Amino acid sequence: MDALERRIDELRAEVRRAVRVRDAALARALRAELRRAERDWDATVSEEALDTPATVPGDVLDASGPAPDAASAAFRAALGGPATVPAHALGTASIGSGQVPGALLPGETAGALRSGVASPSAGASGSSESASGSSESASGSGGLLSSSSRRAGGQAYGGRRRSGGAERAEGGSRAGLVPVREQVHQALAMLGAPAAGRMIVAVHEAFFAGGLRAGRMTSLRRDEERSFRAAPYARPYYLCAALTERLSPARGLYAVSTWPLDRRIVTPLSPRVDFLTAARRVAERIQLLTGRGEEPSAAAVRLLARMARNIPGAMPGDVLPPDPADVIRAAAAELEVHLPADAAGRASAARRAARQLADVECLFGAATLSDAARKGA
Amino acid sequence: MKDRLDALRGPVPPLAHDARAIAALAANPGCARRAVLDAAGVDKELTARHVGFPAPFGRSRFAITRGDAFEAQVKESGCAELLRLLREVLHLPIPEVAYHDVSDVGAHLRHSHTRRLIDRAARDDGDAGTFYDHPLFALEIAGHTSYLEPDVIAFRLGGRFHVVEIKSFPVIDGQADPVKVAAAARQAAVYVLALRELLRELGHDPMRASHEVVLVCPENFANKPVAALLDVRRELAVLRRQLARMARVEDLVASLPEELTFDLARDASGIPTRPAAELADALGAVAARYAPECMSACDLCFFCRDEARACGSTDLLGRHVRDQLGGVATVSEALALAEGAREPADGQDEIARLLRYAGELRAECLEGLELEGAR
Amino acid sequence: MSALAALARLRAVREGRAQRLTTVRHCHVSDRPMVFVPFQLAGEAAAPLAAMVGTDPGSPRLLVVPQPRDRDLRFAFAAELAEVVLPYVEGFGKVTETVERRNADPYERCLDAPQLVLPNRQGVAFTGLLGRSTRFRRPDGPFPVHPSVPVLGRWLTFFAERASYPGSSLTLAATDALAMHWASGQSDLEDANLAALMGWIDPPPGRTGLQAAEEAEDPLLWPPAGPATDPGFDNEVLAPAIEAYAEAPTAAAVERIRQAVRSQAEPAWRLTWRALELLRALPAGGSVAQRWDYDRGAFTDFLTRTAEGAPPQARRDGAVSAAARLARMERARASFDAQRAYDDPLVMAEYRLTGEAFAGNVVATEPEHTEGEGRSRKLRPLVTVATADPVRLAPGTTLGTPDRRGQEAEVVEVEGGTVTIKITKGMGRGKTPAPGAVPEVGERVCYTSVTDDFQAAAALPEPEMTPWTHGGPPPEYVPTDEDAGEEWS
Ligand code: SF4
Repeated sequence: MDALERRIDELRAEVRRAVRVRDAALARALRAELRRAERDWDATVSEEALDTPATVPGDVLDASGPAPDAASAAFRAALGGPATVPAHALGTASIGSGQVPGALLPGETAGALRSGVASPSAGASGSSESASGSSESASGSGGLLSSSSRRAGGQAYGGRRRSGGAERAEGGSRAGLVPVREQVHQALAMLGAPAAGRMIVAVHEAFFAGGLRAGRMTSLRRDEERSFRAAPYARPYYLCAALTERLSPARGLYAVSTWPLDRRIVTPLSPRVDFLTAARRVAERIQLLTGRGEEPSAAAVRLLARMARNIPGAMPGDVLPPDPADVIRAAAAELEVHLPADAAGRASAARRAARQLADVECLFGAATLSDAARKGA
Repeated sequence: MKDRLDALRGPVPPLAHDARAIAALAANPGCARRAVLDAAGVDKELTARHVGFPAPFGRSRFAITRGDAFEAQVKESGCAELLRLLREVLHLPIPEVAYHDVSDVGAHLRHSHTRRLIDRAARDDGDAGTFYDHPLFALEIAGHTSYLEPDVIAFRLGGRFHVVEIKSFPVIDGQADPVKVAAAARQAAVYVLALRELLRELGHDPMRASHEVVLVCPENFANKPVAALLDVRRELAVLRRQLARMARVEDLVASLPEELTFDLARDASGIPTRPAAELADALGAVAARYAPECMSACDLCFFCRDEARACGSTDLLGRHVRDQLGGVATVSEALALAEGAREPADGQDEIARLLRYAGELRAECLEGLELEGAR
Repeated sequence: MSALAALARLRAVREGRAQRLTTVRHCHVSDRPMVFVPFQLAGEAAAPLAAMVGTDPGSPRLLVVPQPRDRDLRFAFAAELAEVVLPYVEGFGKVTETVERRNADPYERCLDAPQLVLPNRQGVAFTGLLGRSTRFRRPDGPFPVHPSVPVLGRWLTFFAERASYPGSSLTLAATDALAMHWASGQSDLEDANLAALMGWIDPPPGRTGLQAAEEAEDPLLWPPAGPATDPGFDNEVLAPAIEAYAEAPTAAAVERIRQAVRSQAEPAWRLTWRALELLRALPAGGSVAQRWDYDRGAFTDFLTRTAEGAPPQARRDGAVSAAARLARMERARASFDAQRAYDDPLVMAEYRLTGEAFAGNVVATEPEHTEGEGRSRKLRPLVTVATADPVRLAPGTTLGTPDRRGQEAEVVEVEGGTVTIKITKGMGRGKTPAPGAVPEVGERVCYTSVTDDFQAAAALPEPEMTPWTHGGPPPEYVPTDEDAGEEWS
């Protein structure tokens, strides 16, 4: 084990030396070896965790618990978050240290567990209410985002969990339950206007299951285009491009094929118009939820606040959280300024598009597939 | 002249400078070595590595990710955050929101598209935009074109173009790290200069590119952006001077040996094959002016420091010490003066007396302290 | 920088070893300092990554934030740090002494005070940022934190502020403390690297200072002493480790990050303790204890105010308190400079070199010289000193002397290699001077125009009298909910 650690240290040093002298090939080879050594180390640590419930040898610096994995759970709990322990870790800890983590939430599927969905567990004596988010969320980030966390000692502490934490907890699994294209569609349908990846992710986090990652959307448009070319209109909708006035695909924006063409066109004024429209939709959605007696998620409130602060008059007195009615009013007022010019621009571009473009170009822009793929990526 | 610079560089295209590199050109204006290498477009980083003195610079992945994320946030939704800031800070009127993403065209067209858009805006024919995202400028440096990518150009703040510089270092309770602000100002000045050149070429008044740049940074510990106006006139002047000086490297180059070259003799796969010692000699043929500040500004710093050490230069000890020594060039000379082992040359009387007296005082005070020389 | 210090650097180059700049130590070194080596995630405003902290060089606490972008983990880090720092700091409040004052009530002062030692100045600045990002938090309300977090924030702010107070030793940056006492053979920019500076002062056996300093610049051998980490380390070691944790937050993943940051923190930890050892080995200057008394007073004061529930330090000073602070600092600076010169002939030598001080042997005295008539007749002994120093003092200049600190003198005449002075204060009321009050012929003396008299505070209006040109009276600082809930992301 010691030898392994020494080896790892050496390898790290060598990698960094190689990087410094720009020897890419050597660095790559060293990195591979380093990863191997680290895996061995991980494996050995896990074994030791099974064998010896002791602190890491010679470690005077560590204040953590008995066995590493149990310690991790305790550590997480101590940090005040809903302890998030992937299934394998739970297994190890329970076998190894006898500190069996608490029972799993009833109704949580094994699949979810395997991929690391948060489960209140381990040394946390306080309960953490996870998995009870907004109505739409199956095992929701809503819950994670709003759940108040408790310290091991039972003292209220911590606070709202940021999306970083949610992302970690989610481990990319919830996205697996609903296909990415459907998640994106949910968000776009709610926004009612072309939007960029970041906005789509934020909306999904706020009103849907969440856990959508921008990284997973990169090849989306290209895949949709391929699918459309292979069998046009075989699907009820396609996620497609917004078109610039030059009828080329607008960079980084997503739209829905079932929208009228002019809604998918972006003039120089459209980013603002679409932003204001989106803000209005978000505010209306929150009104709807509250009207039904439901608590909007913390992510939704944050999203609204972030949008509202960028609209004049949407947050009178800078009071948080903003009143959705104020946001709707302010967005409408500014929209009035931009709408006529924007609508004219869109209409004329849409007419041109209808005249000049084939169906597939109408959806994905007047560019070759390879070009579109290059840009879409 | 161009041939001569090409020969100095060897058969590779000149290194393209980005704004940071151009801003750094003026970091040590007195250094002939740097002036020649930069004018010839030599890859100083690779050169330093090849002679065995790799530069100590590196950027953390975390810093890069964070910078990108903050920029994306400011530009999100047609620059919604930036719009708020410009409305707050500069009273941009409500109808001014038009957003042009220059990168909507293919990469090869970005520069010409930028020109077209800026031209249209400068003519102010009614449908000019407010934001130009991802523009691409060109700037001529000693005969070679470098392409520059400012974060955003904003227009119609009093009929002028403003360079917007988005940085992810924080402004905490109204204060930011002055070193970082200064670096941002220098970089922004490069963009202003390039924009002015472009306006001039297009036949517009170059002064319509404002010397006030909009610096956007996160406020306190949250991610909420704040903006401030930075006056970069001084940085512009420094930059212009340095570029003019580089355009005049002729004199410098003319005084160099005919056969001198910094060619790395790269093989087919780009690996330098030039004997390192030979390359080091070539570098040595152009006088440097090392200062400890080079350590944060020039790829050759370790090489030049080593050289300065080898000849015992007092430059090593920093400007404060140099100032005290009144131009005595080497450590041994200064010590010889202090110890009376050397007659002061013309004009050195004063400094020699001072050093000698300083030596006596040290001896007097440390007498009882047998620790002297140890610790 | 003085010519004396420049010469010391030149000598350091030649000898291959740092040279003394002082004959004594000018900062207090506590018997029980707390060393704090913090690290920060690159690119973030104040995201703590880790800290090595403790009072025992043999057993530091290593606190780690496995995901520095996670707000909850940051506050958990702050709470953990509070667990280490607060008992240490508050422990000094237990034993006090009563200090008698003239014209004022006696007060209680802590017998000893904490001392926070950081590797470098950037560490101090980061301490300030950590303080700023935690002191406004609240244990209740919408974004509750552990009750210890805001208290920690106030103390960290206190320590960071004291660091910029000249002569205070409550907070030390090891590099600055060392550079005050030793001249290295490199530039002051390079001295900011603790390992390199220590290389010059205390090179390993068989190495020159230059070799040791060169080695110290290799981040693989000597990782930077924080709070910034080496970019190579970030990219090759830390980033993969944090990613692994993000994928699966297991104990092994946490342990991997701990191992990684420990490798970066331990060298700085050891160096900082070694630096303290070197400083401690120097004899303390005469005024060190007095300045530490002030430090103890400042500490006691802040401890009391905190205990009484005073609000956290404001985000920014108002115009008047900023000006008052500046004036206070300037006075402290002047006083610190003077005290060091009086305590240390090698520091005094800098003033002798510039002509603001002189030393030499007394060649003539007129101890019973008087001025004035009748009742206003006063004893004003004259002393003539032969000196080789290049004296640049005009007649009438007020002088002080380290040898007789209660006295004040005045330049009468500077003539060739002699200076005649007259003693103007501290002679008592007698007709003849007390024995020893006037230096004897042959005695070696030193006089300087640098004096440590606490001039009356510059006339600044009280905070509530701030003129409207300076924004009117500042509202008393009341932290808001917004302060408490401010994002830390
Ligand atoms: S490092 Fe060398 S080449 Fe670069 S500026 Fe300094 S002295 Fe000139």
